[in-house]
Amino acid sequence: MYNMNISKSLQKLARSVRFQNLFFACKELHGLKLFENTSDLSYIQQQFLTHLYNFETISKDIITEKISKRVLEDEIMWNSYFLWKQNKKEDKTKKNSNKRQDVKLVMGKTINFPKVEDK
Amino acid sequence: MDTRLEEAQKIAKEYEEQNQLAQVEDFIKDNKVKFTVDSKNYRIRLLNLSEKNELDTLRRKKFGQLLQDKDILLEKDLVKQYKERGVDISELDDSMKKIEAEMFNLQMKLGESIAKNEGNTVVDTYKKQVEELITEKNTIFTQKSMLLEYSLENQLLSYVYQIITYLSLEQSVEDSWERMFTTFEKFEKATEEQEKVINTAAQYTVLLQNV
Repeated sequence: MYNMNISKSLQKLARSVRFQNLFFACKELHGLKLFENTSDLSYIQQQFLTHLYNFETISKDIITEKISKRVLEDEIMWNSYFLWKQNKKEDKTKKNSNKRQDVKLVMGKTINFPKVEDK
Repeated sequence: MDTRLEEAQKIAKEYEEQNQLAQVEDFIKDNKVKFTVDSKNYRIRLLNLSEKNELDTLRRKKFGQLLQDKDILLEKDLVKQYKERGVDISELDDSMKKIEAEMFNLQMKLGESIAKNEGNTVVDTYKKQVEELITEKNTIFTQKSMLLEYSLENQLLSYVYQIITYLSLEQSVEDSWERMFTTFEKFEKATEEQEKVINTAAQYTVLLQNV
């Protein structure tokens, strides 16, 4: 039932420089608000916030990670990119938690715990 | 086609898009969707706490009524009945799960090719495959929704949307807003003209409330 035109307009607004700047400013400055209400967000407001956050992340990644600008093309593109990014992050976290790390209890002194082989 | 006509159509389309953008911007700000039917102004707004309580009471009452009605089946009983008649809904679920798994793999590949800037041919190929799977999944989803349309759960949901529309629909009277229907009975007995307003309002109801 979620009207496609409204969904597209919502994405367009969230991508706009004006709303991206406002979103950034709201995080930095107290008292600046995106919506009249600060709690009890409606369904559409929650959707809008998700879009704002997603487009902010994508814009950063286009500049810093040099990903293809085509990611902004449509929902399939950015959803796929986020899915891949999320899974990559989870893989990395898993790998890091599997690594046994030596702990420095005193500055300059490293205690080498005996390595236990994983089964 | 005449270039001037094309140009005029383009401008009209842009104008319509800008209009829609302004309308969406307006209602995300304050959760109030204003619209006009036959030159009269109406609006739908987010329910307040007491209206949410009223909604909850009416929902529970309706649920009890529906449970007592022997002609209305719960989704799980409807699924059972369909199976006895040779329509297996679990098969539709399995097909959707299979498509989702396939889609996940393709989306991961597409995501990686975007991240690695692998070029248009690779991206386009994956994208097209994902699009095809989405269409396939939507077809099965629609098929399942149609089969379960008359389940108790769906009847209740449709009733809830009606109640929200009834509770949140307001009309402009002079310089203020007032409820269009003071009782649900009046809402149910809406005239043809009022139904036009209700139908427009119902499109927006779902946007605001978290049901």
